[in-house]
Amino acid sequence: MEQVIANGLYLGAQYALIALGLTLIFALMNVLNFAHGQMYVLGGFVVYEVYGLMKLPFVVALIAAAATLAVLGAVLERFLFRTVIRRSEREESTMLLAAGVAYFLDAAILLIFGEKQRGVRKIVNGVFMWDNLILPWDRILVAGLAIAFIVAFILMMQYTKPGRAMRAMAQDRTAAQLMGVPVAFYGLVGFALGAMLAGLVGGLLVTITGVNSGIGGPISIKAFMMVMIGGAGVVGGAIAGGFILGMLESVGLTVLHSYGDVTYLVIFIAMMIFLAIRPNGLMGKPWG
Amino acid sequence: MTNSRRAGSVAAVAVFLAAVFVAIPLAIAATGRTDLYYTLSSVALLAIASGGVWLTFYIGRINIGQGAWALVGGYASAVLVTTYGWSFWLSLPVAGLFCALMSMLVGLPILRLRGVYFSMVTLVLTEVARLTALALPITNGARGITSIPTPGAIRLFGVTLVPGFETFANRNAPFYFLSAAMMTLCFAGLWRLVHSRLGRLFAAMRQNEELASSMGVNVPLLRVVAYAISSFLGGIGGAIFVAIAQSIYPSSFTINDSVNFMLNCFLGGLGFVFGPMLGTLVLYFGWDLLFQTGQYQLLIYSGVMILLMLVLPNGLLSLRWPSRGRP
Amino acid sequence: MTSHSTVRAGLFGLASLIALAAAAPADAANPVLKVGFVGVTSGPAAAWGTSNVRSMQTLAEWWNSQGGVKIGDKTYDIDVVTFDDQKDPKRAIAGMEKMAQEGIHYVVGPNVDDGAAAVRPVAEKAGIIYFPYAFPKELYTKPASNAVLGMVASYQSGPAIYKYLKEKKGVKSVAFVAANESDPLSQRDSGVAAAKALGLTVVADKDTYQNDTRDFTPVLTPIVKLNPDLLVLSGVAPANAPLLIRSARELGFKGLISTETAQDAKVLEEGAGELANGFISVGGASTPAIRSKAMEEFIARYTKKFGEYNDESNTKVYALQYIIDTLKADPKAIDSVDEFKKTIDGFSAANPYLKDESAKLHYVGDTSFGQKRQLAVPLVVNEYKDGKFETLFVANVD
Repeated sequence: MEQVIANGLYLGAQYALIALGLTLIFALMNVLNFAHGQMYVLGGFVVYEVYGLMKLPFVVALIAAAATLAVLGAVLERFLFRTVIRRSEREESTMLLAAGVAYFLDAAILLIFGEKQRGVRKIVNGVFMWDNLILPWDRILVAGLAIAFIVAFILMMQYTKPGRAMRAMAQDRTAAQLMGVPVAFYGLVGFALGAMLAGLVGGLLVTITGVNSGIGGPISIKAFMMVMIGGAGVVGGAIAGGFILGMLESVGLTVLHSYGDVTYLVIFIAMMIFLAIRPNGLMGKPWG
Repeated sequence: MTNSRRAGSVAAVAVFLAAVFVAIPLAIAATGRTDLYYTLSSVALLAIASGGVWLTFYIGRINIGQGAWALVGGYASAVLVTTYGWSFWLSLPVAGLFCALMSMLVGLPILRLRGVYFSMVTLVLTEVARLTALALPITNGARGITSIPTPGAIRLFGVTLVPGFETFANRNAPFYFLSAAMMTLCFAGLWRLVHSRLGRLFAAMRQNEELASSMGVNVPLLRVVAYAISSFLGGIGGAIFVAIAQSIYPSSFTINDSVNFMLNCFLGGLGFVFGPMLGTLVLYFGWDLLFQTGQYQLLIYSGVMILLMLVLPNGLLSLRWPSRGRP
Repeated sequence: MTSHSTVRAGLFGLASLIALAAAAPADAANPVLKVGFVGVTSGPAAAWGTSNVRSMQTLAEWWNSQGGVKIGDKTYDIDVVTFDDQKDPKRAIAGMEKMAQEGIHYVVGPNVDDGAAAVRPVAEKAGIIYFPYAFPKELYTKPASNAVLGMVASYQSGPAIYKYLKEKKGVKSVAFVAANESDPLSQRDSGVAAAKALGLTVVADKDTYQNDTRDFTPVLTPIVKLNPDLLVLSGVAPANAPLLIRSARELGFKGLISTETAQDAKVLEEGAGELANGFISVGGASTPAIRSKAMEEFIARYTKKFGEYNDESNTKVYALQYIIDTLKADPKAIDSVDEFKKTIDGFSAANPYLKDESAKLHYVGDTSFGQKRQLAVPLVVNEYKDGKFETLFVANVD
C-alpha cells in the first residue's frame, strides 16, 4: 500500500503542475487552452535537444524550455487570442482558435522533431528502497522540483504585485480594470506564465517518461479532467484536482485490479457522478 | 417576416436543394469523381451530428460529447441489424430514439452543470461510451461488429420504394442521396424548432436560466428535451455511417470526433442554424482537398483554421451578416 | 446553405486546387505506376504509418534512380500516393476512395483493425488489393479476398515465442498487460489463449491501461507483485514500450518482458537504457546476422533521406517489394486484381533482404486463413541488447 500512495503522490505532483498552467490561463482569459498539451510536448523536446543532444546541464535545458514557452505563450496571446477575444461575440469562440493552435503545434512538432518517442539520460541514478517501498531517485527529485515550482507559483500569486493583479483579474476583470490594473498586460503575462508552466513540466518529465510528438492532445484532455475535478479557474482547485486524479489512478488501478478491463470505465463514471453532485468541482467558481 | 424576405428564403432553399440533389450529382457524373460521393456523404452525416451539438450550444451548453451518441447510435443499429436481423431502415429511427432515451437518463444529472464543467463531463462521456463498447458482450468488445449488410429494399404493398443498396453499381451514390436527404430533413427540423415557441424558450434559457425559470419555464425539462434531440441527431448520423463502413469498432467515434463536431459549429458560426453544415463542409472537405500536400497537410490545414478564426471569429456565416446576428 | 456560402466553399476549393497543382510531382520519362498508402502519419500513433510511408518512399526512390522497374516489357517509375487517415476509420474510407479515384489497385495499410475493416467494402467494390497491418482473421478468410496481411500476426508469433521461452528459459507463468483499445486487446486475448494452450500459468490477463498513460508505475505495481516469469506487452505501441519496461524494472521486476509487435532499438535505448536489455520483440530482416547487402543499402538510403532509420521498417520494407515482384511475375495484374489473386498462389521470388540466398518471397496463410492472404515475412525474434537487436531465433509462418 505504501507503494500505491507514493505512486499517487508522485503522479499528483506532476499533474498538479500541469493543471496549474491550464487553470491560470482559464482564470485570466476564460480561454480553455486546447494547446496546453502541445506546449508540454514542446517543453519536453526543448529539454531533449539541449540536455539530451547538446549535453548541456539539465538546469540550463529546463530554463531554455521555460523561456521558449513563455515567449511562445506571449506571442500567441498578443497576436491571436487577444484579437479573437476582442472581435468575437461569444468568448467560447476561442476554443476553435485554441484547437487550431493545438493542431498547428502538433504538425510543427511532428515535422521538426519526428514521429519517434524520445528520451534523455537519467538526471540521477539509483533507487530509493525502504521496507516495501521502491522509488527511483530521479522520480523523487522530479516530484520535489514539481512541488517546489508549485509553492513558488503560489507564493508569487500571493505576495507579489503581478500576482495580486492577476488574482484580482481572475475574480472580476472589469472591476480590476476600473481599479487601474492594466488587464491587457497582465493577460499577456498570465498567458506566458501558463505556457511556461506547461513547458516546465514537460521538460521535467522528459527525464522520466520521455516525449513524443503525438501526446499533446491526450495530455490536454487529462489536464481538463484535473481542472474539472478541482474546479476551474482556481489555483487550489487545480492542485487538488491534480493530486486527486493521481491518487485515483494509483489507488483505483490497484483496488480495481481484479475487475481488469473495466477499471478506467469505473474511474470515469465515478468522475461523472462526482461532478453531478458537485457541479463546480471541489472549489471552482461557477461559470456559465 | 416580410414578403421579400420570405421570397429570399424560398429562393435560398431552392438553390440549396438544386445544388445538393441535382448539381452535385451531375458534376460528379461529368467529372467522374465518384469518390466525392463518399466524402460528401460524410460531410452530410457529420453535419447532422454537428447540428445536434449546435442545438446544445443554443441552450447555452458547450457539448464535447456528441461522439458518444454517434457511437451509441451506430452500435444500436449494428446490433439490431446483425444480431436481431432487423432491416436497416427500421433500425435507423430506433437507434436515434435509443440515443434520445439514453441521453435523457444521462442528461438529467449532467445538464445541471454549466460552462466548462459541462464540456468536460461530456468529454469524459465520450470516453465512457468507448470503454463501455469495449466491455460489453453485445457489442462484441474489442473485435467490433463487421460484415454488416448494406441497407435492403423498402417495399410497401409490393411496390419497391427504395431499391436495395447492393443493386447499385456505385454503392456510394444511394448513400449520398440518403445522407443528403437526412441532412436536409434534420436541418429543416432544426430550423423549424428554433423558430417555434420552444426555440424561443431555448434562446431564453441560453440568456439566463434563472430568469427563464422564474417566468415559469420548466428549465430542467426543456434542457433534457434539447439534449435528447441533439443526441437523436448524433445517433442518426452514427447509424448511417456504420451502414457505409459496414463495420463498427469502439474507436469508430472518439474524443477527436466529439471535438470536431464542436469545432464545426464554431467555424460555421454559433448564431446560424446552418452554421454546422458549412463548418463541417469546410473542416472535413478541407482536409481531403489537402491530401496531396503530404506531410504538410496538417500544418496547412491548421494554419488556415487559425487564419479563418482571426478574420471571422464569429464563424464563416458572419461574413455577410455583420450586425443581424441571429438566425 | 445559401448561395453566398456556396461561393465561399468554392473559393476554398479553388485555393486547395492551386495547392494541389503546386504539389504535383515532376514529370518523368517512364510511365508512372502508382502505389497507394492509407494509414496514420499524424497524432499519437504517427510512428506506425510513418515507418510504412518512409519505407515505400525510400524503396521507390531507389528503384527510380536506377531507371525504374521493369514489369513485362515496360519500365515504370514508382509513385507512392499517401493518405493520412489520422487513425480514424471514417477517414480511412475516404482515403481508399481517393485511391480508387486515382486508379490505384495496390494499397499498403491501414495500420489498425477498425480502419482495415472499414475500407473493406470500398476495396472490394473498386478492385483494390490492400495490405493492412491489422490482425482480425475475418479480413483474410473467405468471403473476404482483397486483403493481404502485411506482417506476422500476433497469434502466429506469440505461440512461437512462448514455446521458445518455455523450453529455453524455463518460463512457467505469464502476465499480460494491454492498452484498452481494439488492437491490443484482441492481441492479448489471442496471446492468453496461446499461453494456456502451451500449459503456461496465466497470472494476469485483464490488466489494461489508457493509451495516453505516461507513467506506467501504477498500472504495473499490482502485476509486478504477482511476480510472473514473463510479462507480455500485448500490441504495445513503440512509444509506450520503453516506458512500460522502465517502470517494471524500477519496480523490481526480474522476469522476462516480451511483445509480438515490431519495435525500434533507438527508442528503447533512449527511453529505458540498459533496463531494456533482454527485451524480446519481433522484426523482419532486422539483425546484421541475417540481413543482406541490399538491406544494408536500404537502411543507408532511408537514413540519408530521413535523417534516422526506424527499425520497424525492417518489416515494413516488404509490402512494396511484394507488390512489385508479384506484378513482375504477372504483368497483367497491373490493371487486374483478379490476375493478382491467381498469381498469389504459385508466386515465388528471391528475398533480397536476407543473407540466406535460399530465402523466398511467397504468400502464406493457409493455416490461419484457409487461403494465401499473408506476406511471408521471416518471423525473426529479437532480443534487445545495449542499443541493438540480436537474433534469438528465426521461424517461418505457413
